[in-house]
Amino acid sequence: MDQIINPLALYAACGLGAVGVCLALPRKDGKNPQIVGALIASLAGAIVLLAMGLKAGGLLGFGNSPSVYFYIFGAVALGASLRVITHPRPVYAALYFVLSILATAGLFLILSAEFMAFALVIVYAGAILITYLFVIMLATQAPTEELENALADYDTQAREPIVATAAGFILLAVLTTLLFRGTVDLPSMKSSGGEALMAEMPRRIETALSNANKLPSGAHVVINDRNQANVDFAARKVEIRTASGETSLVDLPADLHVTNVEMVGFNLLRDHPGSIEIAGVILLMAMLGAVVLSRRQVQIDEDAKERRAQNLAAELAQGVETNP
Amino acid sequence: MTNLLSNFCLASAAPGAATLSPILLGPSEAQLILALPIIGLLFCTLCAIFRVKSKAPAFFTVACLAGAFALVVRLYLNKTGTPVITSGFEWFFLEWGDGKGQRLVANFSLYLDSLTILWMLFVTGLATLIALYASEYMAGDLGTGYCRFFAAFNLFVFSMSCLVMGDNLLLLFLGWEGVGLCSYLLIGYFYKKPSAVEAAKKAFIMNRIGDLGLLMGIGLTFVHFGSIEYRDIFHAAQPYIEAAKAGKYNEIPFLVQLIPVLLAIGAFGKSAQIPLYVWLPDAMEGPTPVSALIHAATMVTAGVYLVARMYPLFLLSEYALPLVAWVGALTALLAATIGMAQFDIKRIMAYSTVSQLGYMFAGLGGLSSTGAAFHVVTHAFFKALLFLACGAIMHGFAGQLDLRKLSGIRRLKGWGIVSFGMLVGCLNLSGFPFTSGFFSKDMLIGSEFLTPGMAPIGWILLFTAGLTAYYTFRVFFRVIVGPLHYEPGDELHSAHDEHGHGGENHNEHAHVQDDHQHHDHGHGGHFHPHAPGWAINTVLLTLSVLSLSASALNFLHLPNQPHIEGGIVPELVMESSAAYESPYARHEAHEGTGDGGHEGPDAHGTPSYVPTAIALDDPHAHAGTFLGWNPHAVMFYVSGAVGFIGIFVAFVLHYVGRTTAATAKADALLPMLGPIPGWAQHKWYVDEFYKYSIYWPLIILANLCNLFDKLIIDGIVRLFGAIPRWIGNTIRPTQSGELHGYAAGMAAGVAVLLFIVFILTLR
Amino acid sequence: MTTEFTATLAQAGYPAAFQSITLAHYLFISGAMFSLGLIGFLTRRNLIIMFLCTELMFQAAGLALVAFSRFHMNMTGQSFVIFIVTVAAAEAAMALALVVLLFRRRESLDAEEWSELKG
Repeated sequence: MDQIINPLALYAACGLGAVGVCLALPRKDGKNPQIVGALIASLAGAIVLLAMGLKAGGLLGFGNSPSVYFYIFGAVALGASLRVITHPRPVYAALYFVLSILATAGLFLILSAEFMAFALVIVYAGAILITYLFVIMLATQAPTEELENALADYDTQAREPIVATAAGFILLAVLTTLLFRGTVDLPSMKSSGGEALMAEMPRRIETALSNANKLPSGAHVVINDRNQANVDFAARKVEIRTASGETSLVDLPADLHVTNVEMVGFNLLRDHPGSIEIAGVILLMAMLGAVVLSRRQVQIDEDAKERRAQNLAAELAQGVETNP
Repeated sequence: MTNLLSNFCLASAAPGAATLSPILLGPSEAQLILALPIIGLLFCTLCAIFRVKSKAPAFFTVACLAGAFALVVRLYLNKTGTPVITSGFEWFFLEWGDGKGQRLVANFSLYLDSLTILWMLFVTGLATLIALYASEYMAGDLGTGYCRFFAAFNLFVFSMSCLVMGDNLLLLFLGWEGVGLCSYLLIGYFYKKPSAVEAAKKAFIMNRIGDLGLLMGIGLTFVHFGSIEYRDIFHAAQPYIEAAKAGKYNEIPFLVQLIPVLLAIGAFGKSAQIPLYVWLPDAMEGPTPVSALIHAATMVTAGVYLVARMYPLFLLSEYALPLVAWVGALTALLAATIGMAQFDIKRIMAYSTVSQLGYMFAGLGGLSSTGAAFHVVTHAFFKALLFLACGAIMHGFAGQLDLRKLSGIRRLKGWGIVSFGMLVGCLNLSGFPFTSGFFSKDMLIGSEFLTPGMAPIGWILLFTAGLTAYYTFRVFFRVIVGPLHYEPGDELHSAHDEHGHGGENHNEHAHVQDDHQHHDHGHGGHFHPHAPGWAINTVLLTLSVLSLSASALNFLHLPNQPHIEGGIVPELVMESSAAYESPYARHEAHEGTGDGGHEGPDAHGTPSYVPTAIALDDPHAHAGTFLGWNPHAVMFYVSGAVGFIGIFVAFVLHYVGRTTAATAKADALLPMLGPIPGWAQHKWYVDEFYKYSIYWPLIILANLCNLFDKLIIDGIVRLFGAIPRWIGNTIRPTQSGELHGYAAGMAAGVAVLLFIVFILTLR
Repeated sequence: MTTEFTATLAQAGYPAAFQSITLAHYLFISGAMFSLGLIGFLTRRNLIIMFLCTELMFQAAGLALVAFSRFHMNMTGQSFVIFIVTVAAAEAAMALALVVLLFRRRESLDAEEWSELKG
């Protein structure tokens, strides 16, 4: 019996969340208590997270309790996601999506995946979402004078909200039941084996040593025939060779660690070089496809083109004459 | 009866020259006999393609066939008395093992023995003459029809040659089917006439029934003798022949005894015997030259040829030859009775043909293969002559064939040769003394009385001979002689066309006749029959002479061919596989009561044909007699007398005192016979019997099968086809076409999947 | 959460607040985000928002992958997220191009307008 939450409590929370989300979804008449729904849904999420926190670290508080930042980022991520799906205006939905991404990036940071966090912010928030915003602006009818704030029918009216939320939360209930069968702590970063990558980077060790003034002048880190430095990880020592040719073991600097970017980089480029190429090709194809698809196809023959050009030139000439 | 049969069968075991081993030769000029009709066929086809509107196809055909005839004559003059096999190209060669019966060889080789030569002589000879006749007869149809006619004519001669000359049963079967096809094509020559098409189909289907028997017989032959080549069959059958000679029929396997019965069924189909004879009278829908050549002289004797060729095998069965004899005799009688009551002269000739073919089969069954072969030859001449004379009348009188509307034709100018030919043919057919028909028929009937157990058949044939004489001269006295009167046929206003009268038409004609009674002569004034031209007259004259002189074939032979005593025909038969010397004929010769030439060659068989020891031991116990006299000697007078009686009755009833074409004294006598003449006129309702006993049950069965097929078989197939459609229709509404629907489906699928995982991992 | 683990984390230079989180926490966030994305996809009728919801689901999947990557100390999980982002970018480019095309044709972004696939 190492379940994190009592299944009944979990299902009750899921049901509560479902009711909340259902209420929060937009309706046509606009009388939907969206805020109440959002609150109920937040309540449900809070109950689950609270229960998990209690299980993991006793009472809410300090010491063994999970990180406060996790709760902040998690709440923001889920809240923003809820807004994405409930906000009737697409532009706001997109902006809430950016918020959701930023919160997720925060969670990535807690998971010590710094590279992914920044990549997510740059790619998603910086690139994809901008595209979305452009398209939203492109694909919206020009608002008329009196109905400046009018919303399209399909934005204000959700489609079968009850069934959809039921399906979604049943999925979530089953998913979480399976996830919460047991509680497992995240292991220490030390045991990641990431430090072993240190041996792959003899130049970096050399720079760090010289920065820490631990490297005699003219000395170099020994590079063996596998292009690696001879590092003794247990003693945190590295083999160097002085200018006179003697080899000796030197302590590594205390602040010398393998960063997340280095680990991801090694994994990506050393273990999955082909996938990188394929990803590049996919992106190229997507770009070409997008260009081809969204190009406005106007078919006019050469004569028409010429006539149009002449008309344009005539208009311009006329404009030049009359304007001054 | 069993006793009789066993007696008969014991005696029949005396096969002849089949044991002679044939000489193998390479290709010879005999192959040209097959090639010439094919050349003619190609020429006619080319003419048809280029729409030649002249008589060129006819004369080319005549030339080709005459060439073939000349080659056959050369073959006859050069023959040695031993069968010759000239190998042609390889046709069938199937081998599926080394053992016996695992090798099927059927080459396009020719088996040239004297029987072949005999048949080829009259086939090619008559074909030449009839082609010449047809060149004038078919002149009204110049163009593609003319070419089509002669193309089929050539194809027929080729097929018939294959049938007769082939050295194996498969080649015979090829020819058999080929002549059947040509018969179909030529009966249906006027394919726009429904009755002709019906007749063609009838002939074709009836022949298929017989062909099935033949095919099964061939298959059984292969199974039992391991070969379908004649020489191998005769060689392999030797042990059985020995057994048959010793009278030990129980030593011969039943299936071997079944072979001749099956072959006989094939022969009955092709030669129009009971129960498959009904197609031949209807086949008269074809042009008359076709009727003369195919349906009187040559093709229908293919069955006789088959039995004669396979005579050694027929001797192996206790029942085959009696079956053949009885079927032949009953057919002869039945067809003669029908022929007596018909009014269409061409139809009378058709029934006469059926009847005479019955004689031939009875002769074969009665152990007189020589008589049968001789009758085939003489019948070929005189029946062709009769048909051609009928055809000339029909040609001249615009398709008129009703003997009640034709009378005294001999009085017309230009019809002398036709009348003479008709007289000669009728005399031959009715067995008038010293005509060829007289000798051949005598030989047959005499053999029947000579062979024990066959006397009833002899009496039947004798009675039939009288009927034959009556109905033959009924035609002659009504049509050729008497007061001149004629009415044109119904083809007066249409293009010149053949027209056979269906039986139904007669009543109609009879009605019309009453109206015509009063102004009888008026019709003659408007219609001028055109007399036959040189080609028809030449052919008729030639055939008349040949018919009269054919009897010489029984007595004379060429000076350089002294192998066997007797005439050309007996000699030819006795050298072939059909050679068979009746032990009773020998016995008769011993007694020395025979009368010179008439007793036939059987009396003087060479020692190599000395029959069985059993027959030698006690010949007197088996030989039959005719009321105590030697049949051959007495039959000379008896059959002559019977023929005279028939002619006399016809003379009294149809000539004496007849003043109109339509009626004769015979009409007054008809009521005395009650309904019998009506039945005979309706062909004893055999067609109707077949219709209700075979045709309708088959139609009903076919419809039932069709129903079964439609409802059950198709139903099952449709059911299997309907299941996917039903599933598709049921599921289709789920395909709403909206994005959300599909997404919801995917979500539900994931949920279900996870739920399954949840259940599985529940501990 | 043992005290020594907290100590090692602190020794590794992480602030105290970034301590002691179980895998299940992240997976819950991920699952909830995925469910919200799914619900959004099912209920919203605006094509653009629907694609936004798919991005939300992508992101949830990425979060789960990074959490597992951290849990198993295997960087491949993070590498995989890069590919997810790649695919998401490609999909966004194509999908948005298509949305523009569709909008041009009917002057509407309503997903229910398009039901040509109806069987």
